[in-house]
Order: sequence, then structure tokens, then C-alpha cells
Amino acid sequence: MNIVKIALAAAGLACVVGTVQADTLADVKARGTLKCGVSQGLAGFSAPDDKGQWQGFDVDLCRAVAAAIFDDASKVTYVPLNADARFPALAKGEIDVLSRNSTWTLQREAELKLLFAAVSYYDGQGFMLPAAKNIESSLELGGSKVCTQSGTTSALNVKDYFRQNNMQLELVELPNIDELVKAYDSGTCNVLTTDVSQLYALRLKLSKPADHIVLPDVISKEPLGPVVRQGDDAWLNIVKWSYYALLNAEELGISTATLDQALKSEKPNVKRFVGTEGTYGEQLGLTKDWAVRIVRSVGNYGEVFERNIGANSKLGIPRGINQLWSAGGIQYAPPIR
Amino acid sequence: MMRQSVLAVAFGLSALFAASGAMAQTRPQAGLNSVMEIDEKPGYVPSDDESQLDPAFRRQPVYFRTTEAPGTIVIHTNERFLYLVQGDNRALRYGIGVGREGFQWSGLQKVSRKAEWPDWTPPPEMIQRQPYLPRFMAGGPGNPMGAAALYLGQTVYRIHGTNMPNTIGMAVSSGCFRLVNADVADLFQRVPVGTKVIIRQAPEL
Repeated sequence: MNIVKIALAAAGLACVVGTVQADTLADVKARGTLKCGVSQGLAGFSAPDDKGQWQGFDVDLCRAVAAAIFDDASKVTYVPLNADARFPALAKGEIDVLSRNSTWTLQREAELKLLFAAVSYYDGQGFMLPAAKNIESSLELGGSKVCTQSGTTSALNVKDYFRQNNMQLELVELPNIDELVKAYDSGTCNVLTTDVSQLYALRLKLSKPADHIVLPDVISKEPLGPVVRQGDDAWLNIVKWSYYALLNAEELGISTATLDQALKSEKPNVKRFVGTEGTYGEQLGLTKDWAVRIVRSVGNYGEVFERNIGANSKLGIPRGINQLWSAGGIQYAPPIR
Repeated sequence: MMRQSVLAVAFGLSALFAASGAMAQTRPQAGLNSVMEIDEKPGYVPSDDESQLDPAFRRQPVYFRTTEAPGTIVIHTNERFLYLVQGDNRALRYGIGVGREGFQWSGLQKVSRKAEWPDWTPPPEMIQRQPYLPRFMAGGPGNPMGAAALYLGQTVYRIHGTNMPNTIGMAVSSGCFRLVNADVADLFQRVPVGTKVIIRQAPEL
């Protein structure tokens, strides 16, 4: 019986090894570049700038991993992928990590044999409306005329939400994004609903963006994050902890501006982070200064967020639920120790 | 060390004023107005345009997860935001200007007193630095204290308005927290005396 099990396990392992390399870190090092799957262009998250350089929140995650490995955040090969191609590309080993606004679901882990390393951005369906309405909660939206894109989960979610909360809903469904924006901007409806990150992107298309607010309420779960293949736990750890390094840096007060000060710190948790105490980088298969390399290259989570999608960026998304757990949000990283 | 000495000086000043008996009844605890900004422009009345803040600093409802009770004020100085906890994972957020580096402090306080359009009495050390400042200025639109003040416990610090809206988002005052007048008037109406105020700083390295 045991022999059969071992044989089966060995066969299974052989299959995995046969199709996909199991030492991704070694492959990346040998290749000299990290292959990172990104979107085909989503402002703020991953899009090439006018010089053709990839920029964005998701791109900075690729850069962070490259910095941890090579001490050079530019050693990334970006592979733009559409929604259909992204998971097969990862499964087939065409990319080392997928960092492309993808929602973490059971099916994507269990059926597609992938692993989400972390939730880098908590998205979810929200509401945009004119600031002059003086509405502060989605529970005050009863009787509203709400615009949404037809055939999306957004339409189903908003119907459920209004019904659950005993609110009257007049739903206006538009066939595409342009019509949706036009309908809202012209006053055909007084509320627009879709995922919060998209609400901020759509707000830019309005005639007077500053006159509209996005409510803080979120009525669905869309946890986005970087994804790797199953079968290489050490690589999963590297991607996961590169992300957690960004969060831990912010929580510890370590940023590009304070990094040199942090290197001289006597605080134990800061010393563990910058590698002046312990062998945490080595345990990951990296170097002592792995986390320092990350912060020096891309900054901490707050810096990455603000630069690409934050309140003072073009998109203007507030930290909200993506604030650190210790400052009003739910972004939480396990400790480096 | 720095913080302690600033506080000590501030307390000393307030004690001095209290002892001198210089406070008229219409000018309650005037000495407590002492620790103030360096480059104030008393008499300057901001335009409506100036008082219109960048969207990020305007008063707005935001997601805010906390174990503090609704009605509590939480100030994140490094973010330049003041949160009024509303329960159900939300807060009303106001953009603020905060104390300069070295004048920043943290802790727990209570709103000990409230005043609308408070008077202003710059302390002697400030008069020395800026001799052109008035010795006393009655409350009003040109007053650096702005439309309202919420006094924080027995300290010299307070949450107040401003006649310089362009300083919201900055670290400029001597440790006070300033809001634009419309916001401080709004906050004034929402919070009673006794409100818990939590002041948080960036972690130290």
C-alpha cells in the first residue's frame, strides 16, 4: 500500500517536474530577468508610459521581487496578457509571477492549480454620486436611479444589496462603459456602481470629476494580488514576503526617505527588517539586505500606493480599506522574525 | 526630549498667563493661545477660492476600521488627517495642518472646552520673534484661530480653524491641529465637550 502511494506520488512529482521547472528562483537567476505577467494597459495598475516603460501598482510588485533577487528593479521582462491568457501563461511557465489585477477565488487555486501569494489590493463594488447630494452611506441610497453595465456581476450585486436593505431601486443598465459614463454624466441616473478602482478611473472621464465622490462602502469582495504556480513553495515564499516587506516597511516607518536612518536603528524589529540582525533573507534563499533592496527600489506599500493610484495620483483612490490594519484599514502582514 | 521640553515651555507659559490674571472673562484661558504659528498673518481674510481644498483634504466619509467608539476623534499626524469615528467601519475625515517636526506629539486627550471665533493672544516669545504681531486680537475672520477651537485637556494645544487655508496638509503650527473654517465649524457642531481625542504619530525608527 505504502509502496503504491510512494509510486503514485513519485509519478505525480515527475509530471510536475516534467512540465514545469520547480526551482523558479534558480531559473530566474540563470535567466537574469524576472518574467512578470501584467495587464495590457490599466492606468495606475500596469501600463507603459510615453517612453514605453511599464509603470503602476502591479508593476511595482514585479520590481520589488526583482530588486530582492537582483538588487536591480529593472531586471523584469513584462509580458502583457489579456484576461483569458493570463492563467494559462502562468500555468505553462511563460511567466514567473502574475501581477495583473486578478481576483483571488477558490476556482483559480483549486482548479487552475495556482496560488495567490497575498492580497495586494482589496477591491469591491462601490457607488459614485454627486458630492452635492450630501449622502455619506450607501444605506441612504434608497429610491436612487442607479446606472451600471448590463450583464455584469455588478448589476446582480446591486439588486441584492438594495433588496436586502429594503431600499427602492431604479436600475438603468447600459451596454458598455462609454454609455455608462455618458448616462451618469448627463444626469440620466444619480448613482453609478461598479468596482471601486474602476469608479475612480471612470470619474476622470466626467465633465467635472471633483464634483463627484465615491462612498466608502463596498458591497462585494474582489481581493486582488500576485499569483504563482503550485509546486514551488520556496518561490511562493519569495513573492509573498516581498509583498509583506512592503507592508512591514510602512508599519515600521521605513520609507525611501528614512531607509538610511533605519539601517542605523537599534530597534529589534527594524534591525530584523534591514538585516542588521538575523538571517531572514538567507532563509528565503535571498541576501541579508533583501528588504532594504525592495524599499530602496520601490519604497514601502504606502509609497507604492500613493505614487500609482493614491489620493494625489491621477486616479485619486483613497487608502480606505487598503490602509494598514493599525491605521484604519485591513492590510496586515505577518512579522519578519 | 524635544517634545517634553516643548511641552514644558508651553505649560510654563500657560501657568505664567494664568498667574498674571491677565485674562478677561471674554477671553477665557487666553494664555493657552500662546503656542502658535511662526508666520501667521493676523488680519488676513482668505478668499472662498483659497478655502476650497484639494479633493483629498476635503471633509469626506471614509472607510475606517477601529475599536474606538463612535464620536471619538483620531488624529493621524503623518497622514494630515483627522478622523471622527462614526461606527460601522466609517469615519468622517478632515484635512489638517499639524505641528512642525520637533513640535509633534502623541497621546490621549479630551475636549475640555469649545469656543467659537476665539480671541488670540500671541505669547511674549512670539511677539519677540514677530514684533509686528498684535498683543491681542479679537475673534473673527482674520484671526489665525479661525472659526472655532476645541481645547485639548489641560494642554496648550487645540484643534482650531485658520485664516490660512493653504497650510492644510502641511506641518506648520507649533503643535496645534488646524482645519479650514468650514470644517472646524462642522466639527464644532458634531463633538461635545468630553470627546476623546487620540493623537497618533508615525512610528520612530
